[in-house]
Amino acid sequence: MMPTLALSKGRLLAGAADLFRRSGLAFPDQPGRKLVVECGGTRFLFVKDMDVPTYVEYGAADCGIAGRDVLLESGADVYEPVDLGFGRCRLVVARPAGLPLEARSSLRVASKYPRLAAAHFLARGVSVEVVRLSGSVELAPALGLADCIVDVVETGRTLAENGLEIAEDVAVSTARLVVNRASWHARRSEVAPLVEALARAAGAAAA
Amino acid sequence: MAGLPTARSAVQVPPGVQCFVGEEARRRRAIEDVVTRVFEGWDYEEIIPPLFDYADVFASPDLFARTYSFVGRDGRVLALRPDFTSLLAKVAAGRLAHREPPIRLYYSGEVVRYEPPRAGRQSELYQMGLEHLGGRPGTADAEVLAVAAECLDAVGLPGCVLTLGHVGVFNALVAAAGLDPASVDTLRERVAARDEEGVRAALRRQDMPERAAAALLTLVTLPGDVAALDILDAAVAPFEAAARAVGELRSVLDLSAAAGLGTRLALDVGELRGLDYYTGLVFRIYARGLGSEIGGGGRYDALLARFGRPMPAVGFMIGLDRVAALLERNGSDPRPARPPAAPMGSLREARAEREAGRRVRLAVDR
Repeated sequence: MMPTLALSKGRLLAGAADLFRRSGLAFPDQPGRKLVVECGGTRFLFVKDMDVPTYVEYGAADCGIAGRDVLLESGADVYEPVDLGFGRCRLVVARPAGLPLEARSSLRVASKYPRLAAAHFLARGVSVEVVRLSGSVELAPALGLADCIVDVVETGRTLAENGLEIAEDVAVSTARLVVNRASWHARRSEVAPLVEALARAAGAAAA
Repeated sequence: MAGLPTARSAVQVPPGVQCFVGEEARRRRAIEDVVTRVFEGWDYEEIIPPLFDYADVFASPDLFARTYSFVGRDGRVLALRPDFTSLLAKVAAGRLAHREPPIRLYYSGEVVRYEPPRAGRQSELYQMGLEHLGGRPGTADAEVLAVAAECLDAVGLPGCVLTLGHVGVFNALVAAAGLDPASVDTLRERVAARDEEGVRAALRRQDMPERAAAALLTLVTLPGDVAALDILDAAVAPFEAAARAVGELRSVLDLSAAAGLGTRLALDVGELRGLDYYTGLVFRIYARGLGSEIGGGGRYDALLARFGRPMPAVGFMIGLDRVAALLERNGSDPRPARPPAAPMGSLREARAEREAGRRVRLAVDR
């Protein structure tokens, strides 16, 4: 049975396609609306980015490609054998420009990453109330929903457009290969070649 | 509160509990029967410990946060058992204090834990397992592996992999480097995730001496073939305690291989998750077709001392829920065949049939 790889059609798709090409492996040309595509000996599952760790953890996918941001948030119990190097972005605390956060006794933070956001502040001794949002997080401060946000930043344009500036760094994120533990051990002959090929290509790019 | 119905229906169940009716229950009992028969075949005796005990029996930090505890009639804190091993250790030190080692005990039943929703985990878990107390380290470990392998064959899962590791290697390397507990935790977590980059980053932050760092990295990069143990051996050679741990692992592998178990074993020296009472060999059982392990065990030489009877010990358990899920997925049925119940028109008839040992169903018209 061919290995199953879960990934999303979002931000990391182009990098994933490129990685497969560099590995000499086939990648679905235009997945279009299809969610399950078999291509070149691998079964590809196209799911929401936040769901990739879930599919891999439960073993519905042997492996997957997910951003470290999503992995940290999910806390999924999976192997993370390779940093694939692409899709680099920063997770930051952003707040309305010119408004320092220090003076507050409590803080309301809006984020797509409630666990990470809470952990970041709590570790620094700051109590927070986390407002969990699924998208358009950058709107929250202007609408009075939160004092600041924890979100992903690439170019910084979205933040600037919403009058926000970066206050602190939370984490750096790149795309990671994740592998289900049982698949690693019990389906080694199916999974190892794929993992090794991707690792080699990622390593070559990093060099 | 908008949305969810707040009126509790009379049949509502709390999250995380399970209930099995009829054929499902028969399937589970059939699996249990097969496994416990294997245990008895190796001369393990059943122990049926209590459902709850004083909470401090289960004091392992890993367990404690997930334990359902309550206050008993004597004002002391009690806990529903999250685990059998601690209970068996206590019995071996208490009620069985005068029994000579080795003591072989097995159990089969529920444990109760508060588990956040995660792949394959429920609040109530049914475990079948054994403990080999006071036996010779090495030989006892290989015996336990052999029993585990036979259980898997017996339930119809012969293709499982048993992956072996040893917590002593990691523990010795970080002790030699004198790392603080928080750094050790980060490192342990990254090694367990097989995150080579993450481990390198953590090691750089620690400014660890090169050979120790290289040895730690080997835990992440070591291939799973048993032959790769030589690579680990070479990497940890300068670290006495770590080398000793690898030696113990090698001796269990050799004993197992000599008994014909070699093909079912693999290495996983980066396996550092799980109960913190393990002191030596650790192993996990993986099956094709299930996303999480179906069981595991290891050596825990320091536990019985807590109850006043220092003794080395090794054990393992298999999760009934997982075996049942896997067999169902494979379309395999563990239930023994039995004749259908014959409908009986009268109680007298029914009793007569029962006397002859036949299955009946009283079907008297209303």
